[in-house]
Amino acid sequence: MASRALAVWQNRKVVGLLVRRDLKVKYQQSILGYAWSMLEPLAMAGVYFFVFGLIFNTNRGVPGGDEAPGGYLLFLISGLLPWLWFSAGFSEAPRALITHSKLITTMKVPREIFPFSVVATKFVDYLFTWPVLLVFVFFLGGRTTLEGVFLWLPLAIVVQFAFTLGVTLLLASINVLVRDVERIVRILNRVLFYASAIIIPSTLVLESDTFPEWFKTLYALNPLLGIFKMHHAVWFPADAPDAFILSATIGGAILMLIIGYTTFRRLETSVLKEL
Amino acid sequence: MAEPVIEAKGLGVKFAMNRRRKRSLREMFIHGTKRDPNTGTDFWPLRDISFEVAKGECVGIVGKNGTGKSTLLKLIAGVLIPDEGEVAVCGKVAPLLELRAGFNDQLTGRENVNLVGSLHGMSQQLIDERFEQIVDFAEIDQKFIDTPVRHYSSGMKVRLGFALISQLEHPIMLVDEVLAVGDKSFKRKCYDAIDKMLQNQRTMVLVSHSETDLKRFCGRGLYIKNGALALDSDIESSLAAYNEDTKAEIEARKKKKKTDGDGDEKAA
Repeated sequence: MASRALAVWQNRKVVGLLVRRDLKVKYQQSILGYAWSMLEPLAMAGVYFFVFGLIFNTNRGVPGGDEAPGGYLLFLISGLLPWLWFSAGFSEAPRALITHSKLITTMKVPREIFPFSVVATKFVDYLFTWPVLLVFVFFLGGRTTLEGVFLWLPLAIVVQFAFTLGVTLLLASINVLVRDVERIVRILNRVLFYASAIIIPSTLVLESDTFPEWFKTLYALNPLLGIFKMHHAVWFPADAPDAFILSATIGGAILMLIIGYTTFRRLETSVLKEL
Repeated sequence: MAEPVIEAKGLGVKFAMNRRRKRSLREMFIHGTKRDPNTGTDFWPLRDISFEVAKGECVGIVGKNGTGKSTLLKLIAGVLIPDEGEVAVCGKVAPLLELRAGFNDQLTGRENVNLVGSLHGMSQQLIDERFEQIVDFAEIDQKFIDTPVRHYSSGMKVRLGFALISQLEHPIMLVDEVLAVGDKSFKRKCYDAIDKMLQNQRTMVLVSHSETDLKRFCGRGLYIKNGALALDSDIESSLAAYNEDTKAEIEARKKKKKTDGDGDEKAA
C-alpha cells in the first residue's frame, strides 16, 4: 500500500491537472461561474431555515442554547457547506472511473488518482464556499475558539477527506461491475443527510425520549455524525463530539479507507477489463 | 542481442463470459453468491505468450481480428493487468492506442494539449517549446486552437492527438492501427515522424493490417493465432504464415459453402 501511495504522490501533478480541468469545465460554460458555488448552498440554507428554523422551531436544539452566538442559521450554514463537499463527492463517486475510461484504457497512471481527484475537486469547491460562511459569521456574530480553529476544523477536514476517499474508492470500482450502485447512492445521499445532524442538532436525537437506546447507539456510530459535529464545534463549542462519537468517527473513517482501498485493489483487474 | 526493453513471460488474460458482466443486483439476489445457472466458461483471448523485444527494434504484430493483438498492446502499456504471467517494461511508454484519448470536449485545443501532454509526463516547459510544432504538424489553423475541441472535425482531433503523442520522448512506442487515419499527405507525415523516431533508437511495437506499413517499419513479426503466439520471426515469414492461414480459411469457407449448397439442392 505504501508503494501505491507513493505512486499517487508522484502523480500529484496529474491530480492537480484533473482538479483544475474539472473546475474549469464546470465554470466555463456558465455565465455566473463561481457564483454558483455560493448560490446553491445559499438557496438550500434559505429553504431549510424556512422549514426547520421558522416552522419547526429547531432553534431550541442549537448547542449552547438559544443564546449561542450565530443561532440556528449559522448552525445550518456551517453544517451545510461541508455536507455539500461530501454529498457532491458521494454522488459523483460511482462515475469516477467510468467517465475517465478513455484515459484509463490508454494511459498508465495509478488508477487511484481518479477517485482521489474527485474528492479533491469537491474539496476545492468547498474551500470556495468559505467566503459565504465568513460573511454569515460576521453578520450573525458567530464566535470561534482556539480549540475550534486549531483542533476541530483541521481534524474534521482530515477525517472527512479520508472517509470520502474511502467511500469513493469503494463505489467507483464496484459501480464499473455493478451499475446499480448509482441508484443506491441517490437514496443514501438523502438518508445520510438527515442522519448526520447537519441541519438538525444531534441533541434532538441523542437526548430525546422517543428513540430507543439501540437506535441512539446506531445513530452515534455513523462516522459522518462526528465529522459534522466537529464542523459545528468550530462555531458552537458545546457541539464538540464526546469520546465515543469521536472514536467512532475516526475509527469509521480509517476502516472505510481500508475497505475502500482493498476493494479497489482487488477489483482493479476486472475493472480494467470492463472499461 | 541487446538487453530487452520489453519482456513478456507466459502472459495470459481471461475474460469471464456471462459471469459478472452486467450482472445486476436483481440477479445477485435471485442467485445469491452461487454462480448463476448460465455461467459461462472462462475465455482466454491470450495465453502463454512469451517474447522479448530489444532496444531499437520495431516489432509488428499480425493476426486475424479478435485474436488479441490490441489486448497484447494494452498489456504492454500496463493498462490491463494480466491474469497469468508478467510483462516487464523498462522505460516509459508512449501509447498511441487511441488518439483522441483524454481530450476533453469542453476544453480548447490548447488546453487539451497542455492537459494530455502533462498527463503523459511532459513538462510544462517542453509543451510550451513544442506547442507551435504540434499545432503545425496537426495542420490546425491558429484560429481554431482556442476553440473547444467539440467543434473540431474527427480528423482534426486525431491529427492533434498524433502530433502530440509523437512529440513524447518516451523510449517505447506502442502503435495500434492509428496509421489508418488521416488523408494521404498526413499519412506521409506520420511515416516520416515514425522513421525519425526509429532512427533515434526507439523501440516500437506496431499492430496493423496493412502489409506495406508492417514491411516498411518492422524487422520482426509476431503472428498471433487464436490467442497464442504462433510464430516469432522476421516480418516476411510472419506475414507469409498469416496469409497462408487466411488462404486456407477462405478455401475452407468456399468448400463449406459448396457442400452446404449441395445439401440444400438435395433437400429441395
